[in-house]
Amino acid sequence: MIISRLKELDEILQLLSEKNLFIIGCGKCAKKQHTGGEPEVIDLKEKLKATGKNITGWTVLNSACSINSWEDVLNQNPAIKKSDALLIMSCGGGVSVISRYARMNVYPALDTESLGGVCCNEIVTQLCEMCGDCTISQYGGICPVTQCSKSLLNGPCGGAVEEKCEVDERVCAWDKIFERLKELGKLEYLEMIHEPKNHTKKFRGKKV
Amino acid sequence: MSFVSTLHSGKFIITAEISPPKGIGTSRMDRDADLLKGIADAVNVTDNQRAVMRMSPLAACDLIQKKGIETIMHMTCRDRNRLALQSDLLGANALGIRNVLVMSGDHPVKGDHAGAKPVYDVDSVQLLGILRKLNEGFDLAGNELDGRTDFCVGAVTNTELNEVGVIKFKKKIQMGATFFQTQAVFDVNSFSGFMEKVNGIRSENVKIIAGIIPLKSLRSAQFLNKVAGIKVPEDIVREMKDSKNPEAQGMEIAARIIKEIRPMCDGIHIMPVGNHGNTKTILKMAELI
Repeated sequence: MIISRLKELDEILQLLSEKNLFIIGCGKCAKKQHTGGEPEVIDLKEKLKATGKNITGWTVLNSACSINSWEDVLNQNPAIKKSDALLIMSCGGGVSVISRYARMNVYPALDTESLGGVCCNEIVTQLCEMCGDCTISQYGGICPVTQCSKSLLNGPCGGAVEEKCEVDERVCAWDKIFERLKELGKLEYLEMIHEPKNHTKKFRGKKV
Repeated sequence: MSFVSTLHSGKFIITAEISPPKGIGTSRMDRDADLLKGIADAVNVTDNQRAVMRMSPLAACDLIQKKGIETIMHMTCRDRNRLALQSDLLGANALGIRNVLVMSGDHPVKGDHAGAKPVYDVDSVQLLGILRKLNEGFDLAGNELDGRTDFCVGAVTNTELNEVGVIKFKKKIQMGATFFQTQAVFDVNSFSGFMEKVNGIRSENVKIIAGIIPLKSLRSAQFLNKVAGIKVPEDIVREMKDSKNPEAQGMEIAARIIKEIRPMCDGIHIMPVGNHGNTKTILKMAELI
């Protein structure tokens, strides 16, 4: 699941000068996190109306990043044609797909934070950095590239105070990795010396 | 004698830390360097410490070495990718900088450019590997260099190491660290436990240089207690609280700690709050000079 958060209203207003807006929500990740489902779309619509914007209409697509065709979206939402701009309540993937095919001014209402997951209503953030070179099993299923603030591959930096990362309140990823590997009976993995990552595996879809 | 020779001579090592200037005015840095001349076996020069932007340690080391003082250049993984790290290291070696101290580096959010992109392209263990390759005459990608570097390479450590910290300490030795400079020591018993732990891991050729921060005030003691890897015991905090002259008290405490840990480790590293005005006196009080 893509983790996103709603931008502040002031920031959205600074981004867009257009008056007639159509709002598009997303029925997948943003809906689950309550950042871009129907209630959030309606809420933003009312707030924008109160600032003098004209909301021509709104919809929540099944999935903003995965549409059959833009024509389908247009056919089901004729009000889009009467709008100056689209305001998208989805992750950057959805905003990009709609920007690519709609060929009109498209604005993001959310900020995309990370790749996470959800289970039993618990939303877990920052699980994967999409580095293109997955070695997570060597770390007991806890990705240091993502969960360590410094993406360190060979152990902790020593900056944690009372097991909390120096950057935020999260538990040091390396303490979690240690505990998990201990649980799995794979502490020997910690002794491995990891070489610097090969970033060509990630960049711009380059085949390596 | 060069620092690398001193390191293996059996002498009790004295190093001290200098910060490059925030700006281009070098007078304060020069004054500190002059105060350490003839006292310190080498002077550490920090690399944007606490993620606060300052003059590059490469330039600062060069300026200090021109005064006839050997330096240990700090190199963090925070600000440079593998290309920049290696090119700075080649430049440093060509300028006569022979000692490098490797560390991850405080995260940018801790400093004065909080919005900076954290690099951490390589970690400290991998940077040690890079230094080993440069010393063998190759770059990280395996390309042959025109001449090999001859760095003496060190790393840092906290003195309170959990199990995963011990493993990283081992990896640093495995990748070529020949000396360790520790976070500031205040609790001698706990330091003794640390030494016991690492003595089971290191060979005699891997030296441990203990960090010493002379306290200046009760506030500095309280502040340091919130810093990662530092614990100022309650009795030292009380000593500072009860003292009528906290600066002198701090010097006395520092000298006392040095005397107590001297038989356990290979040297000390003075990291003052502010300048090195008191360093010589502290070393005399500790009977090191």
